Amino acid sequence: MFGMDLPRQPLPKPGSHGPVGAVEAVGFPSPARDYYTGGIDLNRLLIQDRTSTFLMRVTGNSMASSGISHGDEIVVDRALSPRDGSVVIAVHAGELVIRRLMSHSGAMVLSSDEEPVEQSEPLTEATTIWGVVTRCLHHV
Amino acid sequence: MAERIALVDVNNFYVSCERVFDPSLDGRPVVVLSNNDGCVVARSQEAKDLGITTGAPFFQVKQFGQSHGMVVRSSNYELYGDMSARVMEVLSRFGTWQEVYSIDESFLGVQGNPEQLGELASRIRKAVALNVGVPVCVGVAPTKTLAKFANHVAKRNAHLDGVCSMDSMDPQLVERIQSRVPVTDLWGVGARTGTKLAGMGVSTIADLKAADATEIRKRFSVVLQRTVLELNSIACIPHNEERADKQQIMYSRSFSSPVTTIEGMVEVMSVYAQRGAARLLSDGLWATLLTVTAGTNRFSSGEASFPSLTIKLPSPTQDPILLARLAVAAMREIMHQGASYVRGGVVLSGLQPEAGQAMLGVFDEGGAETHVGDVLGAVKARFGNKSIGLGSGGLAVEPDWSMKREFSSPKFTTEWADIPIVRA
Repeated sequence: MFGMDLPRQPLPKPGSHGPVGAVEAVGFPSPARDYYTGGIDLNRLLIQDRTSTFLMRVTGNSMASSGISHGDEIVVDRALSPRDGSVVIAVHAGELVIRRLMSHSGAMVLSSDEEPVEQSEPLTEATTIWGVVTRCLHHV
Repeated sequence: MAERIALVDVNNFYVSCERVFDPSLDGRPVVVLSNNDGCVVARSQEAKDLGITTGAPFFQVKQFGQSHGMVVRSSNYELYGDMSARVMEVLSRFGTWQEVYSIDESFLGVQGNPEQLGELASRIRKAVALNVGVPVCVGVAPTKTLAKFANHVAKRNAHLDGVCSMDSMDPQLVERIQSRVPVTDLWGVGARTGTKLAGMGVSTIADLKAADATEIRKRFSVVLQRTVLELNSIACIPHNEERADKQQIMYSRSFSSPVTTIEGMVEVMSVYAQRGAARLLSDGLWATLLTVTAGTNRFSSGEASFPSLTIKLPSPTQDPILLARLAVAAMREIMHQGASYVRGGVVLSGLQPEAGQAMLGVFDEGGAETHVGDVLGAVKARFGNKSIGLGSGGLAVEPDWSMKREFSSPKFTTEWADIPIVRA
């Protein structure tokens, strides 16, 4: 049901005329049979809770020194609590923006890599933190 | 420890889904339109406050809405379906059982003393808001009917913070509310029943609660008798009743522009039959009957016509090729070249959970029941819904009769190209 989940395909049975990707030989059972438990599943590894995880795409380069560049895809978990230093998605002027949450002279601010931390926007009651960025799929 | 039932539903579900990814919609009047952008099916509170009604034809409210800064969205079912699945999974973590009642509401089995139940309801509300980002209301009570009622109370009283657990309510207050709320606000009591009840002097929920259940059964139905019992805290509406025996799978839509040629309708039938077959496959069901339906425009000159034809399938099947072929053949039988069709549908019924004994005809090619359905499904899962299909059914370009969705937001959660953009 979730957009990000592909159904897990069961191993094809020997001799089955499966679709493309059916790997088992018809003649001899594979010696790997009892060891093969499926490929690496990025959904399982990168997503802690699929109900709260969303994928987003970055536009702009103000987080480039943090390794998050224009065009990169990011994994965002809404259920995590942001900490000092977390990269977060915040709601700013009706728009979703990506910033680093940092403490600066006793207050929390939303900073980007480009502007000095003094000019960063202070975190107020009215600021909504949308989610916490857990991964960046950087295009190389 | 008491066993209770919680009814959780999302406030203004479609609008709330749109707002998760577009915060600029917060605080503004927003409406979501039905298929083909016909009429209003969902409204934000601000749109309700403007007096926009559900079911209002879009062309009637368009101008008024624009002058009040109203935002319009087409139904984005890909998004709503995905968000619904997320909500339901979060809810399932809180219940001893779950019965998903509709795209945005679910019954849950919950346990605890009055204090714990109230706390649990608040936790449910917070968890959905945190994980998925949409607001829910929670009603907790001893029966489904009362849980619906408690949810209704939670929704109408802002100070309750979206949560109403009947065990923590003052019984006198409950009585006062029930003697004010009209009986037609109850789950399962329609306008017609309401009129008939009013004739017997039953106009509020309290009136119905006090009514003689046996008498109600005689004059109305066992369904309304259950409602009376449930109002008196006797749980008698079974779980999953409506899901256990799914009667039919229907794929029927109105077109954005009329289809007038047999070729056009053949294309429609081919697509709908394949969608129906995909649902059979995902529900693990086999169909024994196939019905095709069509409808001409009611308002065009001449009588509207709604031809349909049901055929018995040669054997229980999920096979999209067979279903598409038969749907096309059946449609050729009933439609008239040149008539202007505005709706079409494929209904699969006589559903059963297994293929059963297939009758292999002498002239059937061996293995006619190929696993085409499985393969189509697998390819679609991997490469997207429009990557493969039969005939013209899988074209990446939407044919011009397909649903009109002029104001749709992107498929934020189900299409790689459509994921939300964040500004760095």
